[in-house]
Amino acid sequence: MTGTNLDQPALRLAGVKKSFGPIEVIRGLNLDIRAGERHAIIGPNGAGKSTLFNLISGMFAPSAGEISLNAQSIAGLSPHRINRAGLARSFQITNIFHRLSVFENLRIGVLARHGVRYGLFRPVSRMRQVNDETIEVLTRVGLEARSNDPAGDLTYSEQRALEIGMTLTTGAQVILLDEPTAGMSREETAKAMDLIRTVTEGKTLLMVEHDMGVVFGLCDRVSVLVYGNVLATDTPERISANREVQEAYLGQEAS
Amino acid sequence: MAAIRNTLLLAALLVLLIAVPPFLGLGWQNALVNVLIASLFALAFNLLIGQAGLLSFGHAAYFGIGAFAALHLMIAIEDGFPFPTPLVPLAGAAAGLLIGLIAGYFATMRSGVYFALVTLAIAELFHSLAPRLEAVFGGESGISSMRMPWSDITFGSMLEVYYLTLAWVLICGLGLWAYTRTPFGRLTLALRDNEQRVRFLGYSTHSVKVIVFAVSAMLTGVAGSLQAISNETANYSLFASDVSAQVVLQTFVGGSTVFFGPVIGAAVFTLFSFLVSDLTRSWVLYQGLIFVLVMLYAPSGIGGVLQHHIRNRRQLDWRPLSGLYLLALAGGVLITAGTVFLTETVAVLFGEEYAVARRNAGGSLPAYELFGAHWDPTDIFTWLLPLVLLAGGGAITVSTRRHVTAFWNRGGGSRDTAARPVSLGGAA
Amino acid sequence: MEFAIISTLNGVTYGLLLFMVSAGLTLIFGMMGVLNFAHASFYMLGAYIAYAVSSVFGFWVGIAVAPVVVGLIGMAVERFLLPRVHAHGHAHELLLTFGLALIIEELIKLFFGDFPVNYQMPGGMRFSAFSIFGADYPFYRIFIGGMAVVMFTALWVLLTRTRTGIVVRAAERLPAMAEALGHNIPMVFMFVFGTGAALAGLAGAVAGAFYPTNPNMGIELGVIVFVVVVVGGLGSLKGSLVASLLIGLFSSFAVGLDWSLASLLGVIGLGDWARSFGGLMTLKLSSISATIPFALMLIVLLVRPAGLMGERN
Repeated sequence: MTGTNLDQPALRLAGVKKSFGPIEVIRGLNLDIRAGERHAIIGPNGAGKSTLFNLISGMFAPSAGEISLNAQSIAGLSPHRINRAGLARSFQITNIFHRLSVFENLRIGVLARHGVRYGLFRPVSRMRQVNDETIEVLTRVGLEARSNDPAGDLTYSEQRALEIGMTLTTGAQVILLDEPTAGMSREETAKAMDLIRTVTEGKTLLMVEHDMGVVFGLCDRVSVLVYGNVLATDTPERISANREVQEAYLGQEAS
Repeated sequence: MAAIRNTLLLAALLVLLIAVPPFLGLGWQNALVNVLIASLFALAFNLLIGQAGLLSFGHAAYFGIGAFAALHLMIAIEDGFPFPTPLVPLAGAAAGLLIGLIAGYFATMRSGVYFALVTLAIAELFHSLAPRLEAVFGGESGISSMRMPWSDITFGSMLEVYYLTLAWVLICGLGLWAYTRTPFGRLTLALRDNEQRVRFLGYSTHSVKVIVFAVSAMLTGVAGSLQAISNETANYSLFASDVSAQVVLQTFVGGSTVFFGPVIGAAVFTLFSFLVSDLTRSWVLYQGLIFVLVMLYAPSGIGGVLQHHIRNRRQLDWRPLSGLYLLALAGGVLITAGTVFLTETVAVLFGEEYAVARRNAGGSLPAYELFGAHWDPTDIFTWLLPLVLLAGGGAITVSTRRHVTAFWNRGGGSRDTAARPVSLGGAA
Repeated sequence: MEFAIISTLNGVTYGLLLFMVSAGLTLIFGMMGVLNFAHASFYMLGAYIAYAVSSVFGFWVGIAVAPVVVGLIGMAVERFLLPRVHAHGHAHELLLTFGLALIIEELIKLFFGDFPVNYQMPGGMRFSAFSIFGADYPFYRIFIGGMAVVMFTALWVLLTRTRTGIVVRAAERLPAMAEALGHNIPMVFMFVFGTGAALAGLAGAVAGAFYPTNPNMGIELGVIVFVVVVVGGLGSLKGSLVASLLIGLFSSFAVGLDWSLASLLGVIGLGDWARSFGGLMTLKLSSISATIPFALMLIVLLVRPAGLMGERN
């Protein structure tokens, strides 16, 4: 991948706007995500975090502005093109194949990476490489024991782990995680943090996160999103000391 | 173990399919040809709804296209084009694939109920256009041809047609089975479960759906061309909505969640219509009633119910259960008897023959003949009989149903996810 | 000019008839997410009930009774059948109504036979509304159109001006919320389903006396109505109005036009070349007017996949 060039951000948003009818949700947002960093987006409810993720990953096209992945424009492309360009995302609400086995859930993504998207002439059980890589991801997210169970039967935190695993399978270098620890207990959150840390080693991570513990423990930089714009971007320590941020966000949370 | 047992079962079935037909009469041979064709049609249709979650109401289009393509090739063979007759279904496959790609491109632009409506409209497009296109579809009367001999085979007897059909249906059925094990087959299932996620894993879901649609249309085209070979004729009525409706009924009554479910439905309905279509004009009504009852009380179809019982066969206490099922069967027989009696009575009383009889009887209501007995429409007993049958059967069925439900809830078996019925891919 | 005016009139009346049926379908879909496949069967049922009743009690009684009976049947379907399959999702609701459509069609064949029945408007209505370019224009066409307009004004007022209408519209957007606010939503659903069915029944009762009443009328109109909702966008009343009129007009103009692909190519000098092909090239538009709605649908799918008034899904 070319993302190692430090001068060139892995992901760049410039003047991005998005309106739904008369309501402007994202208002000329600028943001650079450096290659290899772990970057968190925080912000009060309704600040536009989910919309931002949907714009980057291709669910919606931006109304204006430019989004580029490794200096290559991806604004307005369809989700599958953006994925093939090297960006994968997870979903806030668990978004898996409920009736397929855990193994198959992961294999779908691995197959996409190997470019056998439309393979019709060979049973998948004989694709050694694909199955081995699937097992590897399965092991990394700690779901070996549930390999053959229908994904719909997993516990909530297992489904969240599967969700992260699926995001990894296509081999994208830029990973977007949407509230990966939402709804988890303290222990589950700690485990999820370890998981995210190991699986995003050497990749670029952008995540939406509410839990400040997770943000501090995991991320190199934080951007605060308020009313569809970035209020500040800095290290977690300096962000928490930032007066403006405290007023806009942390203060509000405390009250 | 299970794999070996299934293989043995299939092998036994295959032996029966090969060995028995020579000893059957022409009518039965013909009926079996129709069963095979309907089975392939239903399997191809179920590739869409059972695997990809796409509900097509217009599969008659590809069935008809396959039939016409085969007939055109057969006409060419008659005129001396050197092509082996056994390979004629290839024409249906090619035509089905081509039209399927085009139609699928349009139909899969929308999902959910819209998809169903667009497929229906595309079939109606063919239905309305075909009688006007003399050259391709032969106008209202259609086109005909003859099966030409190939090497030592004359294709003059129904038995030869049967074996040809059997070979093609087996090849295509095995192909479909193998399809489910390819990467694309697994992807099809993923699409049914969650189209959005498939898109975010780097697949163009529109292309995937177009390809699944085209494969389904291709095999439907093979089924259509087998029908053309068997009948040696085809006209625009092959595009009619009742052809599309038949395959929907058969597939869901058989069970769309089980691979072989559609074959069960196709076989049951085709054989029944062979047996009773001479006896009643209301066969389609009965089919509709059966379909609605299945939708209401056993949405996973015959195949789904069978599979559920086979999966749980070891945990089940069969003795009380079989007693209950026998009771339910008795109730069902009573209800069926009552319904059939009422329906056939109405068919007689509102029929044209009876109108003539009434005129001859000077406007009064003469007695009519049904099931080998005479019935007087003014006699209260004539109406009491079906009502008693229905009420009795209903009472037995309702109470048995309660016991059966209680039996299963008591832990007689686990709820398995495979019995879950289909869902449409994507919300409308 | 003469052709244009008459075609426009015919197109608008046919379009309004389509709207009478598609409005109920789209209302039910918008509110309950159920695509009622049997909706066009309700239309056919309306015509046959009106025929049966009118042969004893006269035309107007038939027109009045048919929508009531069909509405009650619709309510029964919503109350007793749909809830049974609701848990299995919208596909099974669609399939159930598909089965019902089949049963209704077969029952009608059972009672009334396979051939058209002689359902006629009363002699008193068989006069021409006006004469145009020497041709008489039948009053009954105007009557059908007028009936549709009256019906929709009433429906519009009901939906926008009355308390019930406001609850219906609230339930359409947020059923759970409307129920939490103390409205009897199951009742509202049943009422809407019944009203939609009654509208279709009324349309059938009115139109059946003009167009042929036969066991195919359900599927024939049904398919066109489905095209209307694909073109207009399900759930949008405005969309189905526009699409209904559009399809009505296109169909009625097509009947009178002798255009063919060959004559179109003739404009750029390829007429003779095209004519030498025959087949599709020389097919006259008038002979394939039944195909027009489907072609229109395919074009709309290409240009605006979400339908004219639909939101992108």
